[in-house]
Amino acid sequence: MASVLLENICKSFVPGKPVLDHLFLDVKPGELFFLLGPSGCGKSTLLRILAGLEKQDSGTVKFDGVEISSLPPEKRQAAMMFQNYALWPHLTVFENIAFGLRIRGKKGSVLKDEVMSALEAVQLADCAERRIPSLSGGQQQRVALARALAVRPAVLLLDEPLSNLDARLRDTMRGEIVRICREREQSAIYVTHDRQEALSMADRMAVLQAGKVSQCGTPRQLYELPANRFIGEFLGDINFIDGKITDGKLLTSFGNFPLAGNSGGAVSGAIRPERIKFVSGDCNGAFEAEIIRETFLGDSGEWICRAGETVLAVKEMAPPPRRIGEKVFLAFEPGSLLAMK
Amino acid sequence: MIFRKAVQYIFMLLLLAFLTVFLLLPLFTVVGEGCNWELIAEVFRSPVYVEGLLNSFAVALVTTGIVAVISLALALLYDRYDFFGKEFCPVLMLLPMILPPFVGALGFQQLLGYYGVVNTILTQCGLERIDFLGGSGKFWSICVIEALHLYPIFYLNLITALGNIDPALSDAAANLGASKLQRFFRIRLPLLKSGFLAGGSIVMVWSFTELGTPLMFGYNRVTPVQVFNGLHELDNNPLPYSLVLVMLAVSALIYLVMRKLLSTPGGTAAVKGSMGSRAEKLTGWRRFLPTAAFAVTALLSVLPHLALTGASFSLRWYDTVLPEVFTLEHFDDALSNPLVLPSIVNSLRYSALAMVIAVCCGTMTALISARWHLRGAWVLDLLSMLPLAIPGLVIAFGFLGMTGEYAWARAIFNPVENPLWLLAIAYAVRRIPYVVRAVGAGLEQTPEELENAARNFGAGPLKTLGVITFPLIGANLLVGALFAFSFSMLEVSDSLILAQKSVFFPITKALLELSQILGSGAASASAFGVWAMAFLAVTLISAGILLGRKIGAIFKF
Repeated sequence: MASVLLENICKSFVPGKPVLDHLFLDVKPGELFFLLGPSGCGKSTLLRILAGLEKQDSGTVKFDGVEISSLPPEKRQAAMMFQNYALWPHLTVFENIAFGLRIRGKKGSVLKDEVMSALEAVQLADCAERRIPSLSGGQQQRVALARALAVRPAVLLLDEPLSNLDARLRDTMRGEIVRICREREQSAIYVTHDRQEALSMADRMAVLQAGKVSQCGTPRQLYELPANRFIGEFLGDINFIDGKITDGKLLTSFGNFPLAGNSGGAVSGAIRPERIKFVSGDCNGAFEAEIIRETFLGDSGEWICRAGETVLAVKEMAPPPRRIGEKVFLAFEPGSLLAMK
Repeated sequence: MIFRKAVQYIFMLLLLAFLTVFLLLPLFTVVGEGCNWELIAEVFRSPVYVEGLLNSFAVALVTTGIVAVISLALALLYDRYDFFGKEFCPVLMLLPMILPPFVGALGFQQLLGYYGVVNTILTQCGLERIDFLGGSGKFWSICVIEALHLYPIFYLNLITALGNIDPALSDAAANLGASKLQRFFRIRLPLLKSGFLAGGSIVMVWSFTELGTPLMFGYNRVTPVQVFNGLHELDNNPLPYSLVLVMLAVSALIYLVMRKLLSTPGGTAAVKGSMGSRAEKLTGWRRFLPTAAFAVTALLSVLPHLALTGASFSLRWYDTVLPEVFTLEHFDDALSNPLVLPSIVNSLRYSALAMVIAVCCGTMTALISARWHLRGAWVLDLLSMLPLAIPGLVIAFGFLGMTGEYAWARAIFNPVENPLWLLAIAYAVRRIPYVVRAVGAGLEQTPEELENAARNFGAGPLKTLGVITFPLIGANLLVGALFAFSFSMLEVSDSLILAQKSVFFPITKALLELSQILGSGAASASAFGVWAMAFLAVTLISAGILLGRKIGAIFKF
């Protein structure tokens, strides 16, 4: 396990259009760190810079405090699990995994044991002699993970590794990756645009926007206290409520509400749908609203309600039946209405 | 990393230097020698040379026309339908390329000569003999034999282009109410322009500058033969250089005009995300119709070669439909001729060396273009493809001019003393495009991430090349090498012009010499040609099996 420090990284493929713009990032040893962002935000480029497959225009990359920017890919000890797996089709599963180990001088029974151990970790021990094209997508995915883990890299780089899997296999693999990384205390940087993946697996995560880190922290911190509208929306459904902000309060057509967080410079309030509750009319802070649309999701439900001029989404678990046009009372959970810039 | 990049740039500069010396310099030599306005004016004043140019252009035009019709019909059948024996078509298409047409001309004469097979059949049917090869007959014979030799190049380009057209584009037109014909003319045909351009320009320039076939037919009023005949008096009369320069200019013009007519702005974007073509399965007797079309065309194209084989085994084939007395005597005669065995050894030496040079240069060029992402790599790519657009005769003449013009070239490459390096490099330069395309196709089909993964797991650049890249593109490398070797073995222009002493003759020049010996010369040449045909057949069939449909990419400019 190694720490990773990226300082002032800049990269552009077209002059004047930076993909990474003076980016800073600090990953602690043994941490499963997620880079989250929309397509084109520079997260895969960042991973390739870490692997040495792209050269940054400026800035430094450090592993365990040692500058590695000038090292070629083969000297970096950063094993990557590629998005399309990049398994060598002319080699067997065993040979794919043994490749990196052989380069590191492993041979004979040691080599075999380590390959088999990596295969067992991904539950593919019986596939060692199979050819890559004969494997299913999920199996290929696991071979790619085993290949990256087998060399015991200082840093494991995962580039949207689950993007090609069906939902069920994806859930299983999420658990497997977290388990293996925790067991080995493996420092890993995981790139994805899937917020569920990031929120459910990450120790810490960073959201990239236009080549910069917009916010970095634990999943809970980012979800509950997003730094701006973009992060708020990117990490899940969120209501933005316009109004006048005075003395830490949001003044709206349907009531005045205290804002959490620093309201200086804020332009609106924001609240997650699950933080709005259906309440009785005499409840403190309750305001009246009308249900205008209902989406039944089985174990939960989502309602679109109109309060004054504002449309709000509300989520509730095990919801009772409600009808369109019904007048209801809603209330914000205390401290959940955020001041948003 | 900076050191590695520097090494890569050094490789690129070395290749650029190689192509500058052995491609551009010969070209500039021709231009320099021939760029004499007085002599160029003389070319256009002389009715003989003007007739030669017009005849050559007419040959190119008619040949390309025939080729386009045959190829389009066959390519559409292949792309649109699943029929009986379809899997054999890629190999069948390579049959016509088994021999250069100038050897096929020997068999063609056996078929269409005054006392040949067709005339014998005519007389047996009570009809008059027709002098197919007299008067304008020679012209049409040359066009037909060249077309039957060259149509696979055009066909393979069309097949590749058709394979790149997403069927959804045609489906979308159908969905909007377009009929089959409308879809063909409004959607598929415009999207095929790239195939027409790639195949058509090669075929047209090739047939415009073809030397061997008219030479074999004794059709002297075409520019390439006039240039070749002018070789003997080159010391006193530099006019052939001007003639070559005019030929080069016309070739460039042909290419530019075709590019102007057939360029498709945005064509690539239109086929992005292609799903490949969708063939309709034919049933019942209909499934044999495309098979018959392919079989008849292939039979027509191999008929000269069959006739050549017949002539090589027969003691008498004159005024009869089939050869009468079978013998192996011609093979004995051919082998006992003092020209033959040395020519085989010579060709093997020249071609093996050419193959090594072409494979090294071509592979390096493909790597630079597709993998190393160096600035200015496009210049190298363009330069390496240039030999496809430049007539072989021009390059051969350029090499000859270089040995006359520059003392260093004369010292190293004197064709009179030993043309080994001269011919090997001349062969190689013209085969580099095939290697670049073959290897480039392999690299394009192999995701770069596989090599990145190897680097990521600790393999250095050389180990990555050896353990990952080369094994993955092994078939393409082999095909490139096979093409380079086999096309060098039967190369015509360089061989006829640059091999000047009989002791250094390669196979093709020995074949020409044999065919001109009175008496049994033609039969011995036929026997010699059969050996060559068998050799190329094995090579090309292996290539066809290895590459399948993608073989068309090799003949793409």
